[in-house]
Amino acid sequence: MIHCDGLCLQLTHRPVLADVTWHIEAGSVWGIIGPPASGKSVLAKTLCGLFTPRQGRLIVDGVDLPGLPEPDRVRVRRKMGMLFQNNALFDFLRVLENVAFPLARQNPKMPQDELVARAQERLRAVGLSGSEEKWPSELSGGMKKRVGIARATICNAPVLIYDEPTAGLDPVTTSKIYDLLTGLRQKHASTVIAISSDIPALRHFVDHILFLHQGRIRYCGPESGLEACEDPVVYQFVRGQTEGPL
Amino acid sequence: MAGNFFAAVGASVLNLCAEVGGILTLLFRVLICLLPPRFDLDETWRNLHKMGVRSVPIIVLTAFFTGGIMVIQAAVFVKKFGATSLVGWGAGYAVFREIGPMLLGLMFSGRVGSNNTAELGTMVVTEQIDGLRALSIDPVRYLIVPRVLSMIVMLFLLTILGDVVAIVGAALFGTVLADVSLASFWVSFSQNVHVADVTHGLIKAAVFGFIVALTSCHFGITVKGGAVGVGRAVNNAVVAAALGIVLSDYLLTYALP
Repeated sequence: MIHCDGLCLQLTHRPVLADVTWHIEAGSVWGIIGPPASGKSVLAKTLCGLFTPRQGRLIVDGVDLPGLPEPDRVRVRRKMGMLFQNNALFDFLRVLENVAFPLARQNPKMPQDELVARAQERLRAVGLSGSEEKWPSELSGGMKKRVGIARATICNAPVLIYDEPTAGLDPVTTSKIYDLLTGLRQKHASTVIAISSDIPALRHFVDHILFLHQGRIRYCGPESGLEACEDPVVYQFVRGQTEGPL
Repeated sequence: MAGNFFAAVGASVLNLCAEVGGILTLLFRVLICLLPPRFDLDETWRNLHKMGVRSVPIIVLTAFFTGGIMVIQAAVFVKKFGATSLVGWGAGYAVFREIGPMLLGLMFSGRVGSNNTAELGTMVVTEQIDGLRALSIDPVRYLIVPRVLSMIVMLFLLTILGDVVAIVGAALFGTVLADVSLASFWVSFSQNVHVADVTHGLIKAAVFGFIVALTSCHFGITVKGGAVGVGRAVNNAVVAAALGIVLSDYLLTYALP
């Protein structure tokens, strides 16, 4: 589904991704973990074509994404839904409009009634019925996350990327959100990439783990193999030890 | 010591070139979206309302007292030399050609331009711009072009309104402070102020709107950092717009008939 070969990316003259080689099969569920500022969000945005790598190949569903000019990336991005770290809800749109926005853009001729019905159905799925007319500024952190998830998933895109879906949320809300993501994944059989700092909760959700440190992959494999990884950075991070290279 | 000085000057020049280059690049991208027109009409309509209709009270207030100030300044000499027949012409000529578009442009920059920069900057910081791009929406076409068009159109229209209100203010203040009757004011105004004076100011208003739009959008969409970055961008946008208005006013005053 997605193939990265030797991806390198620099932002403001600073290397952010270095020689990232990663293959994601359709239908698999990946978790990206790593210390802060290790390039996790940048990698997710690169997969969407929001950053163009300086070197390497990025093939998404058979298409060389970096080789495409910006207007032609539309057809690749339509296969992806993304929840951003800060939710990226549009301030100038109400909750219902935010959720319906991607659908309306992808299907300009879809009748308004159907758009509203689809958005309401998705809001019901994330437990936010009755919040349709609220502004994003009126929502709590957990509600914003759920609106972001509803918006990311409304088009039933084959690839879903969740950047910190549970950051700053309490354990109960975290469990509810992972239950919701699991339900959506089972229903649509989508390929999922989730970034999270909440390692225990994330490990319950994913099949595979990619560990990034300073833009380089330190572990890439099944979730169950993470404990056995002998890389000192991974070892220290996974166990939460204070002594070590980090 | 001298090395530090030249390094600082060089850095400032490079920074200035980068900002001017960024503004010109944005201008180019806006023009591409306009030829042929491809932009969001709903967003344009929303901006016309937000930037224009909501600016009416402050523009009316500013214009009314601007007209009044012109007469207050002149009242002493009008009384001294008995030049009541010149008050209408003086107020109209100054307001239409110079004071009206200039003051309203600066006021518009402070109210609408700074708000626009802060809004776009916050959208950058909170990843809303990335969100649009991830949804395959060109932020220039969706956000910038409607704002540029709205600011040009609205500053033009607000200047027409402001001109009328300023003349009304000048006439009222003239009656109260300089003993110039309304009839005398009107005769002086209508016989000496020409259409060219009005169009001169309106052309300036459209250019000022364009400058405020480009600078505010450029500094908004290139914000780096969090709240501090947004604050710095607003500051830069207001300074750049004020400089642009003064410089273009100087050039237009020479160039226009």
